[in-house]
Amino acid sequence: MSLGRLVRRHVGSHPVRAILTIGAVAVALFLFCFLRSIVTSLDAAVQESSSRRIITASAVSLFQSLPTTYLEAIEAIDGVESASRFTWFGGVYKEPSNFFAQFGTDPQTLMKQYPEIVIPEEQKQAWFNDRRGAIVGIGLAEKYGFKAGDTVPLLGTIYPRTDGSEWEFNIHGVYRSLRANVDEMTMYFHWPYLDESLENGTALGPRGTSVFLIRLADDYRGEDVSDAIDAYYAGGPQRTRTQPEAAFQADFVNMLGNLPTFLGMIGAAVLVAILFGVVNTMTIAARERMRTMGILKALGFPRQVPSRLYLMEAISFAALGGAIGMGVAWSTQGVFRSILGTQVPMYRVAPETFVWGCVICIVIGIVGGAVPAWNASRLHAVEALRRGA
Amino acid sequence: MAVIELQGVSKVYTKGGESLVVLDNLDMKVEAGEYLALMGPSGSGKSTILNLIGGLDEADSGTIRVGDVEVTRLDDADLTSWRARHIGYVFQAFNLIPVLTALENVELPLLLTPLGKAERRKQAEYALEIVGLADRMDHRPKQLSGGQEQRVAIARAIASDPTILLCDEPTGDLDRESADQVLELLKRLSTEFGKTVIMVTHDLKAGEEAGRVLHLDKGVVEHATTA
Ligand SMILES: Nc1ncnc2c1ncn2[C@@H]1O[C@H](COP(=O)(O)OP(=O)(O)OP(=O)(O)O)[C@@H](O)[C@H]1O
Ligand SMILES: [Mg+2]
Repeated sequence: MSLGRLVRRHVGSHPVRAILTIGAVAVALFLFCFLRSIVTSLDAAVQESSSRRIITASAVSLFQSLPTTYLEAIEAIDGVESASRFTWFGGVYKEPSNFFAQFGTDPQTLMKQYPEIVIPEEQKQAWFNDRRGAIVGIGLAEKYGFKAGDTVPLLGTIYPRTDGSEWEFNIHGVYRSLRANVDEMTMYFHWPYLDESLENGTALGPRGTSVFLIRLADDYRGEDVSDAIDAYYAGGPQRTRTQPEAAFQADFVNMLGNLPTFLGMIGAAVLVAILFGVVNTMTIAARERMRTMGILKALGFPRQVPSRLYLMEAISFAALGGAIGMGVAWSTQGVFRSILGTQVPMYRVAPETFVWGCVICIVIGIVGGAVPAWNASRLHAVEALRRGA
Repeated sequence: MAVIELQGVSKVYTKGGESLVVLDNLDMKVEAGEYLALMGPSGSGKSTILNLIGGLDEADSGTIRVGDVEVTRLDDADLTSWRARHIGYVFQAFNLIPVLTALENVELPLLLTPLGKAERRKQAEYALEIVGLADRMDHRPKQLSGGQEQRVAIARAIASDPTILLCDEPTGDLDRESADQVLELLKRLSTEFGKTVIMVTHDLKAGEEAGRVLHLDKGVVEHATTA
């Protein structure tokens, strides 16, 4: 027998109420982790971008293609180690709801530029050697069951085939990503395959490339090379805008506008609502326990004991709910990485998020218990026994 | 020497500008091991006296001495720990904690003693044996009859072996048979275990069992009868 047991019995004496309260805290903590992780994952994508890479796009808009003839000129600029074409394909796999990113690129160059994309050597070579070949991220492979040897049909939306048929890509491998700036939910294929089809009229769509991915030679500064490229095309035919990879990622995050702030506000509102919920539960519990607290006082328990019992009870609710909520957030990382795909590359719950989660739980517990605890500390035993239910 | 002594004790409640004198300059003595009944009409201040002796309430004037401690001088914290060691309370409404078993209820006040876990359990079991409920240890209050609940409450009151038992209408909510069992138990605690028992009661039969009866009216002792 201990006071801890008394707390456990009180928690257990109203199972439905306890489950609802714990469930509410769990949902709130899960939401907190989830929303914060979206923000931190987007941030990480920017942070972990390489300063050795810059990206050239049309100065008009991201949706405007650049002529592929730029490739040679860009490669010739001082400080450019390599450049690869990179085109958003926008194909549909079976159903429009199966959205995932596909890019046409120069495979050999891309793999040199992005050492964080890792894939077994023989798979890589097989991809290089097949014009219709493609590789997919591990997340994508798991989601749709893609594996080496499969043929994936994609219906072109930006690039429809003239006979109305689907494009076919041969999967040769599955890659993993070592950094947050590259997601594992993308398919990469040969840009020339796309371009040839446009050339010979079997498909329709804009020629050129969405962007050029550029890797800098050693000892060159990204800004200088960017300026040089943009200066080269200042007079047209199409002006360019070259940015560090991180800025490019950040631009994408900025396209989401105030979303991170908005997510933060939703999260805060949910937490405050749950805090009220816990305070409410504890106030109801305290009203029912008035007599019990009077009894403890009459038996000679110090005045702090009832307060401590309420605090322990509220903290139990918060701790149990928090553990469940954070546990769910932890174990669903893979699921959300796959659902969020390219939009939030490499979604993961950062360790600090769990630390913050624990802090929030403690605050919910203490504030939730403080109201009845304060009332209890002022409670007169005779009064409590007289009025108590 | 008297174990409990009240001298010139007054208690006044003020409510909405009107003051109600509950105890008026009361003098009272209780000898060690005595079995005393307090009787009197409702509102005459019987419960108030028990609460003052047990330190649950404060007198407005006068002194209350229990053993060699002047209760009226202790602050709330000292009073609380003193109460845990010296006073056992029995209430009309039993006041067991509903979520704890009989044994756990009895063990509760022992948490305030230096006893270890095993000793606490042993002592609680012994107290339940004394009240004849060793076989009901694991029952919750709801699973017990009123008489059994009150006997568990008595076991709790004696668990930490206090010298004084303060009982406020302990048979008030019980049928005759259960009431008799409780009265017999209280008498045994006084005669066999040497406890000083003060019992507030409206029950004439309970009064007869007691060694002495104080009749209270309007805050003063009206008369005393001795068995
Ligand atoms: N906190 C309080 N505020 C105001 N009046 C009070 C308070 N506590 C007790 N009283 C009043 O003091 C008087 C004495 O109360 P007490 O409980 O001691 O009576 P009692 O003799 O035990 O009565 P009963 O037999 O009904 O239990 C009553 O008139 C009661 O209304
Ligand atoms: Mg009374």
